Amino acid sequence: MSENQPKSPKSLMERFTKENILKFVVDNAIFFILLALLAVIIAMEPRFVSLKNLTNILTQSSTRVIFALGVGTIIVTKGTDLSLGRQVGLSAVISASLLQSAEYAYRMYPDLPALPIILPIVLVMLITGFVSLLNGVVVAKFKVDPFIATLGMMIIIYGITSIYFDRPPYGAQPIGGLDARFTKFAQGAIEIGVFRLPYLVIYAAIATAIMWVLWNKTKYGKNIFAVGGNREAAVVSGVNVTMVLLMTYTLAGLLYGLGGALEAARIGSATNNTGNMYELDAIAACIVGGLSFSGGIGTISGIVAGVLIFQVIAYGLSFIGINPYIQFIIKGLIIITAVAIDNRKNIKKK
Amino acid sequence: MKKWTAILLAVVLVVTMVGCGQTATTEEGMPKIGVTIYKFDDNFMSFVRRAIETAATDKAELILNDSQNAQATQNDQVDVMISKGVKALAINLVDPQAAQTIIDKAKAAELPVVFFNKEPDQAVLNGYDKAWYVGTKSEEAGIIQGEMIASMWQANANWDRNGDGIMQYVLLKGEPGHPDAEARTTFAIQTAVEKGLKVQELELQTGMWDAVKGKELMDAWLAKHGDAIEFVVANNDGMALGAIESLKGNGYFVNDKFMPVVGVDAIPDALQQIKDGFMVGTVLNDAKNQGTAAFELAMNAAMGKDVVEGTSWTLTDKAVRVAYVAVTKDNIAVGEEAYK
Repeated sequence: MSENQPKSPKSLMERFTKENILKFVVDNAIFFILLALLAVIIAMEPRFVSLKNLTNILTQSSTRVIFALGVGTIIVTKGTDLSLGRQVGLSAVISASLLQSAEYAYRMYPDLPALPIILPIVLVMLITGFVSLLNGVVVAKFKVDPFIATLGMMIIIYGITSIYFDRPPYGAQPIGGLDARFTKFAQGAIEIGVFRLPYLVIYAAIATAIMWVLWNKTKYGKNIFAVGGNREAAVVSGVNVTMVLLMTYTLAGLLYGLGGALEAARIGSATNNTGNMYELDAIAACIVGGLSFSGGIGTISGIVAGVLIFQVIAYGLSFIGINPYIQFIIKGLIIITAVAIDNRKNIKKK
Repeated sequence: MKKWTAILLAVVLVVTMVGCGQTATTEEGMPKIGVTIYKFDDNFMSFVRRAIETAATDKAELILNDSQNAQATQNDQVDVMISKGVKALAINLVDPQAAQTIIDKAKAAELPVVFFNKEPDQAVLNGYDKAWYVGTKSEEAGIIQGEMIASMWQANANWDRNGDGIMQYVLLKGEPGHPDAEARTTFAIQTAVEKGLKVQELELQTGMWDAVKGKELMDAWLAKHGDAIEFVVANNDGMALGAIESLKGNGYFVNDKFMPVVGVDAIPDALQQIKDGFMVGTVLNDAKNQGTAAFELAMNAAMGKDVVEGTSWTLTDKAVRVAYVAVTKDNIAVGEEAYK
């Protein structure tokens, strides 16, 4: 983009040429469209502008950010992960089953003592971490296209989750009656005067900070961009592509596991359909946030922005009572527009 | 060489998996009855399935199929069951409109067919003398929920927080177009009004039967209306439980801050919430009796007897209607009984 412009410094007036303004608008069209939508929402329901709604949106975005960070890193390596949602479900079901309140009459494990909540959470992270490592092995070692590899894994995991979930004595019942410590872990908040800072937002912020450091301050971070941007060049310059991919998938699995447990605690129950299609929301958020499916492009802030944009729109549309079917249409249009604009930018670059 | 090992391994794996997946219990001399469930992991249907299995013990050999929420899959399963020589079919349709196709298949093989839980059109049912239906009336769950809402509202004057004599409610609807969602929505409110309540609808949206959506909608509504909401009506317990989580997170159920929430289904988690005082009532969809009735009719049909012979069911228009039951804290045992 910048190479087209003359090197000499320009006056402020010169920058505001018709062409430049147009270019700015087109390049950021997605944000303008979203601002317009937001304006419509606020015009229809001025009560939308409130601290309470802001906290709600942030809370509802929290687990989604954690998922998007995981799949976003995979996307940067020119991969994708369709098994995200089902891994979330696996994690939610297992963690919920291990953390049911002792007083609850319909427990999956009636004789299980109250566990320290961290134990099942770490356990499910290890499980999904391992599952995703398998994804990584299939992609990196057997050179299976990530779309296919994770498609297969998605179906396998659903089967496993369903077997685990649909068992005697109570069959395919939502796993509820969760331990109060567990639900508090996800639903609690720090009260600062009138402002409630939900724990979930803090967890998402920590995950974001860790991922930001990994992406921007470590050799691993450089490598994921190298692997995604130009794999041949990465190999030539001595990057261990296999290792980078294995780490990336495993890392994503750890995030799904954590997010899945939080999701169960946030909702208060889990079924084998928890997390269904979450991968699509997460991938869409990444794309709207500026990650490219051709790999090697993206920022952490973009991922977070993508998730927030989607959640503001989803929440806002529910808030003003728009028919949910129309919400699907709007969501779909946003995704297509975002990618169309993204491609336009990339074509220009070439 | 390596390739062959891989292929061999795959074959062995598949064969063992198929072996594990076989659910039919083979007992000689008992009639085979072919059963399809629209979706195994539907929580309500999983109880119906258990009731069928219990009822069939030592009486019949069941061939159970998971139709995986796809009518095409179910049609194929029916073909397989017919070729396996079943004596009767018990079908939980995926798509109620597909009944005619199933009947055509059954007719060709001269087999009796008992539909259950998903109701075919009466005309389709009437078109084949060996077809029956076991289920509930969709509107009944709504009517019972409406009666419950009305009697509770009238008994608790303090629930009318703003004292205007009108019940301001929000309603979490199931999947739009689903007969149960439409009937429950209409009849719950209509019945409450008939019982003398003045009502005002603050919000009505679909939560798609889903706890996550129930919670997130409730979050938004509480942010929008705050304490103006006086009653939460949900088409199923899943969404009701989601709403309860949202209410808990918004400071309800501590001190005197209360919100009445009602659902339908009486799933175990909902029974617990009723016991703990977070939920005021639900409507029991009687899985045990639906499953038992479906099996008993199919069994009689398989033996060539009158379908309700020796049972406690009555047939009206070729259908057996299993009653819904209101469940509150006072009769919680009725709900718990269903899971024993």
